[in-house]
Amino acid sequence: MLGAAPKAGVPPPPPAGRRGRFHAPGDAATEPASMWPVLEGLLASVQRPARYVGGEHNQVVRPWSAAETRWLLCYPDTYEVGQPNQGIQLLYEVLAAQPTALAERAYAPWVDLEEVMREHGLPTFSLETHRPLWAFDVFAVTLPHELGHTNLLTLLDLGGVALHGEQRAPEDPIVLVGGHAAFNPEPLAPFVDAVALGDGEEVTVEIDAVVRAFKQRVYADGGAPTPADRDELLEQLARIPGVYVPALYAPAYHADGRLRRTVPVQPGVPPVVAKRTVQDLESVPLPRRQLVPLTETVHERFSVEIFRGCTRGCRFCQAGMITRPVRERRGDTIRELVEQGVADTGYGEVGLLSLSSADHSQILPLAKGLADTYAGTTTSLSLPSTRVDAFTLGLADELARNGRRTGLTFAPEAGSERMRAVINKQVSEEDLLRTAETAFAQGWRHLKLYFMVGLPTETDEDVLAIAELAVRVLRLARRHGKGNRLTLSVAGFVPKPHTPFQWAVQDPPEELRRKLSLIRHAIKEHRAITVRTNDPEDGVIEGLLARGDRRVAAVVERAWQLGARFDGWQEQPTLPLWRQALADTGLELDWYVARERDLDEALPWDHLDTGLERSWLWEDWLDAQQAQSLEDCRFTGCYDCGVCPGLDLTHDLGVQPPGGAGHG
Amino acid sequence: MAECPPTATGVTRPALHRLRIRYTKLGRTRFVSARDLGAVFERSLRRAALPIAYSEGFTPHPKVSFPDALPVGTASTGEYAELTFTAPPDLEGDPARLSAALPEGMDVLIAVGVPEGTPKLARLLPAALWELAWPPVDAAELTPLLSRRAKALLAADRAEVTRHRPDGDRILDVRPALLAVVASTRRVPDADDRTVLRAVLRNDGPTVRPSDLVSALARGDVAPPPTIVRVVQGEVLPTGVRDALGGEVEPLVIDVDAEAA
Ligand code: SF4
Repeated sequence: MLGAAPKAGVPPPPPAGRRGRFHAPGDAATEPASMWPVLEGLLASVQRPARYVGGEHNQVVRPWSAAETRWLLCYPDTYEVGQPNQGIQLLYEVLAAQPTALAERAYAPWVDLEEVMREHGLPTFSLETHRPLWAFDVFAVTLPHELGHTNLLTLLDLGGVALHGEQRAPEDPIVLVGGHAAFNPEPLAPFVDAVALGDGEEVTVEIDAVVRAFKQRVYADGGAPTPADRDELLEQLARIPGVYVPALYAPAYHADGRLRRTVPVQPGVPPVVAKRTVQDLESVPLPRRQLVPLTETVHERFSVEIFRGCTRGCRFCQAGMITRPVRERRGDTIRELVEQGVADTGYGEVGLLSLSSADHSQILPLAKGLADTYAGTTTSLSLPSTRVDAFTLGLADELARNGRRTGLTFAPEAGSERMRAVINKQVSEEDLLRTAETAFAQGWRHLKLYFMVGLPTETDEDVLAIAELAVRVLRLARRHGKGNRLTLSVAGFVPKPHTPFQWAVQDPPEELRRKLSLIRHAIKEHRAITVRTNDPEDGVIEGLLARGDRRVAAVVERAWQLGARFDGWQEQPTLPLWRQALADTGLELDWYVARERDLDEALPWDHLDTGLERSWLWEDWLDAQQAQSLEDCRFTGCYDCGVCPGLDLTHDLGVQPPGGAGHG
Repeated sequence: MAECPPTATGVTRPALHRLRIRYTKLGRTRFVSARDLGAVFERSLRRAALPIAYSEGFTPHPKVSFPDALPVGTASTGEYAELTFTAPPDLEGDPARLSAALPEGMDVLIAVGVPEGTPKLARLLPAALWELAWPPVDAAELTPLLSRRAKALLAADRAEVTRHRPDGDRILDVRPALLAVVASTRRVPDADDRTVLRAVLRNDGPTVRPSDLVSALARGDVAPPPTIVRVVQGEVLPTGVRDALGGEVEPLVIDVDAEAA
């Protein structure tokens, strides 16, 4: 064929063990070739190629030879999902502020590109300069949930890095994970070298310093690291507070398969690793220079985290439990971040983020002030909140000044008063109905209500209460407009580690399906109510990985070998592969998800410390089963969950509320 | 700020200022889809603190319009857009401020104000000059072959090709849209010669893409060209295409060695 270009291939990487020259610090390094020239020619054949090109506003490119440590930050999902992640943006800036570090980003290639990459020998690449994963020193992966685990294996495999830590060459990247799902990293233990628990801002700098010093030593005078050097580096990392190195710990099991304990295998390794917490959020007013994508992502806005932590005490909520106590960013700092960020990025929307943004002690003046600033402009404000009350509604009104009053979201999470007491979601039906009525009276047209089914102690009566509540809300809605609508979003509950529900049974998909059909049946005459549900099977993989132990790693690897990718995407129905993988590895799904644990059983994450006392979690679990609710310690005083004294922290609400509630 | 004429309802609205630009879409930005282009422009204009106008209503959209969509992955030095501002943006003659805010690979080449009564932008872009380049192999054979086929194509009344799409194949006639096509050999200093095909395709009427033109010429024995560039759009002249905004003529024949069709 005339005009056919010689097939542009990627030179095979030097074998692991002989890549030291690419890792050498500073200008002693050989710069790895960019994959862009080859990738560019292949992008025409894949969906949404813009997600692989980089080139976003605010990306930071540093010469390879100007850096002593080189990080590849990764979110193991598609670019559109991962790009807005605040954790990655934040660490990107933290590392950019280190004069000797270089940080680029990678996301998971969609299955079509993975195929093309395998065909052409293209490795996992960074977005900024399209350099291969194997040439970086630290591969830092955030795990916001459990459904990116197989993608992590894809990225390693494509990236020329052995899946198993013990098989890695001395110069290979340190595979570091963090994020909420890293609070039970056991199902990934063989694949990761280190785990950073808790807030990443400070520990990242400390890890960088250790890696830098290590590299200066082993690469001095043209040297290269030996296997013993890598072991030494892992031990050094394990000495950093908040860093867990799974290879230095071993689980022991009872004869019946239950875990006995997880203990260090060598002296000098801490038996329990406590999470890191940034006490003063004011010390890290980041991210500032946020990346602006060239293609549509799931959240198109300039986001500012207005506080971290939450002590509402919802018993199902892992995020709330593992991020205590509450630390607020000051109103002035938030304003400054917003104003500077909107001008710098060109975004037309601002998100004031946190686990429950209406709970910021200064939220009303803050929201009013920002709404005034952007009044009459096309910049809009949003504030995710799960609260259901008049105050939240007032806020929503304030924020909607510039735009629409179309959709308002409330999350009662459960239908009956009893069930809400079990999960400790404190809102009364009366409050909820009054708030909904006011909302429709003020001109909101569409209300979205979030619920869960499959909660501990749940009866059919509790499930039906969701439908009854919805019908009652709809009646109110109709009083204020014939076209007013209601959407119910109902998800299956998945018990998570480090929560009072960590001992609970997860409902199997058949049971969830039955409960969802109860709801559908009960509202079927009401056309103005739309019900949105996930596939009940979605929670199965999540549940297995959330509470799995180290033996589950074999299932992860097997499922990945069988082709599991992007678990949790509708386009990728991977559950049959996981069932096959469970069969192949001889593990029983129900033993992990549908079995109630008792107090005596060791849990795979017992050696990872969020500050919560295990005894407090157990008491809270017992209270839950008695439908005993618990107030927010921020407002009513400390009930000794253990976090503040244990980790030497306090609530930081700017000005202390009268009465000095809580620790602090 | 210009005079604000009262509208019929008595509400005073600022006068709007329209600006037309020719810009490039090269490098990484050639993968930005037409769907994403509006947001890329909106954010760039906001970053440059230019007074972009928005539509009215609940979901205001920036007044940025594109006469047509460039296929994803195709490069261009001949993209056009019309931007509307609420105050004079002061970009005429100095489009660098906007270029600086746009992503790398997108540069504004020309910016001109739009006086009242000027025809719609799309009407100024009746045709586009496309360039298809093959890698520096086989040029000595490929150029004469394509040149012969180009002449035959122009002499024919119909030229049907099949366009393969996920939702089924489509047969279309490329001939009506094809105004000119020339195969040339481009001499590259200190490198091998390359075969370059330049073609003028009408923008109005049924869409014929340069890839369809390749189908009509390649007949299974010529590899698809790795690079396709939309060079310029505007008025068709016997010698090339005149840029609708800048007035410069981009020639169809690029090399003394070329064989005119
Ligand atoms: S220790 Fe006390 S104040 Fe601190 S988070 Fe726990 S209950 Fe709240």
